[in-house]
Amino acid sequence: MSYDADLIIVGGGLSGLSAGITAVKEGLNVILLERGDYSGAKNVSGGRMYVHALRKLIPDIENAPLELPISKESFEVHCNNRKLYFSFEEKSDNSYSILRSKFDRWLAQQAENLGLIISYSTLVTNAYREENGIVLDTNRGSLKAPLVIDASGVTSVVFRFLGLRNFSPKKWMLGVKEIIKSKENEEGEAKTVIGAVKGVKGGGFVYTNKDTLSVGMAVIFDSLPKSEVPAKDLVEVFREREGIEGEVLEYSAHAIPYYGYDNLPPIYDKNVIAVGDSAGFLINDGFTIRGMDLAIGSGMIAGISAKRIIESKNYENTEIYYTLLKESFVLKHLQLALNRFKLIEEDRTLSIYPEVICEVLSSMFTVSEERKYLIDEALSRLKEKGISLGQLLIDLWRGVK
Amino acid sequence: MIDLLKRLGLNTYNVDKKSHIEVNTDICLTCKDKPCIVSCPAGTYEADKDGRIIVHYERCLECGGALVICPYHAIKFHFPENGVSYRYG
Ligand SMILES: Cc1cc2nc3c(=O)[nH]c(=O)nc-3n(C[C@H](O)[C@H](O)[C@H](O)COP(=O)(O)OP(=O)(O)OC[C@H]3O[C@@H](n4cnc5c(N)ncnc54)[C@H](O)[C@@H]3O)c2cc1C
Ligand code: SF4
Repeated sequence: MSYDADLIIVGGGLSGLSAGITAVKEGLNVILLERGDYSGAKNVSGGRMYVHALRKLIPDIENAPLELPISKESFEVHCNNRKLYFSFEEKSDNSYSILRSKFDRWLAQQAENLGLIISYSTLVTNAYREENGIVLDTNRGSLKAPLVIDASGVTSVVFRFLGLRNFSPKKWMLGVKEIIKSKENEEGEAKTVIGAVKGVKGGGFVYTNKDTLSVGMAVIFDSLPKSEVPAKDLVEVFREREGIEGEVLEYSAHAIPYYGYDNLPPIYDKNVIAVGDSAGFLINDGFTIRGMDLAIGSGMIAGISAKRIIESKNYENTEIYYTLLKESFVLKHLQLALNRFKLIEEDRTLSIYPEVICEVLSSMFTVSEERKYLIDEALSRLKEKGISLGQLLIDLWRGVK
Repeated sequence: MIDLLKRLGLNTYNVDKKSHIEVNTDICLTCKDKPCIVSCPAGTYEADKDGRIIVHYERCLECGGALVICPYHAIKFHFPENGVSYRYG
């Protein structure tokens, strides 16, 4: 069987480009296929990147189109007509707000400078096994390789066509987002909002960019049919409730994987490896959604693994990827986040607890003849909702662990 | 009311409308609560007065949602011509 390349990568987002950059540096002959006219054309993220992995991929990130370093974290809980708000400030260059249409394009340019061949406007329409390799059908013809990296994001096209994916609305979130024109911002702020739109299981976010705001929501798909607001109006309703005004420059939406460490789909199989969203690598701990650093990290590990697999000529044995992943921050962080991931799945976390906190605070700030004690107030409210002190303590422990 | 199409006209997905969705008309059972209508962030699905589902292919943002939300897996990604067409329930 003759091959068109050592390695074909499907998807030119962060995970695919990171895999491509690493594999090219390792000396492999690589082709990357991207359906968009350019990288970033079809990529959506809320827009906060933890840059530790990027610094390993591209040591000099000075010229990267990052927006602002996030130096203020805010958290807002809504319940009926009440709102709890707290914030924390710290000068840090640990994470930045970014706009993917600019950022991915820049990263693709870095990859091309290193010699990665990227074929744009190339849509993979089918994948199947043939002899000792994988054939990919595209709108521009078919390509064959002994090893394929699926970096196509949440819809994991290669794994799907090979019959290695079952999707479920419980395992996906919908992300909707607007970019709003704003005044020049000096400081990067990341705001998480819980409870702003009733009936949906999820939260909202607001990130400040240089002269825009990224405003959006991430909601579990399964809760949408029960929501009081249809998905197409979600972000607008959220923005209005947050009192954010300004010209809408862009509207976008994207599904987000929501598997959790103990429920990950298959991430490697004979001749194929999945990276980033395609492998379900996403952390949602209630405060942040983290997929981009995991996409870059898993992409880099896939690039290194590809070199070893191709050198060994045993293309079916892709387990080395999993071995390296287990030693890396990708699977370790996913495992660490498992408790909090499970906690936010429980109804009480996003609905009952915020309500109890608001009710207790409200009664503490309301002065009447009757004297109230914070602890008594909290315990009686929890009891009304059927939650014991033991349950609360367990949840608190799971939340901070 | 949002002017959805105007907003979509501003979005990054506009660069390429080659890949879209396909609805398998044999499978679609037009569920009562119509998850595809309420869950699509682009307003791609609408019901006409007879309860048939109209698909506005040109609105689709390719978010992937319809792949998971249809309980009968009647919706798949495919490449039809742009524009409005019917599916029958
Ligand atoms: C609303 C929202 C908010 C988020 N907020 C954050 C955040 O603040 N911080 C964070 O770290 N993460 C966030 N995430 C998650 C993050 O965006 C993803 O984890 C990350 O983009 C995954 O990168 P990827 O390269 O794996 O996939 P993608 O970025 O989805 O890239 C996949 C690529 O594959 C291409 N492709 C797909 N199908 C085909 C095909 N058939 N043929 C050819 N090419 C194809 C696509 O065009 C695309 O370029 C958010 C996500 C959303 C949707
Ligand atoms: S992929 Fe997303 S935008 Fe397109 S029809 Fe399905 S739900 Fe709507």
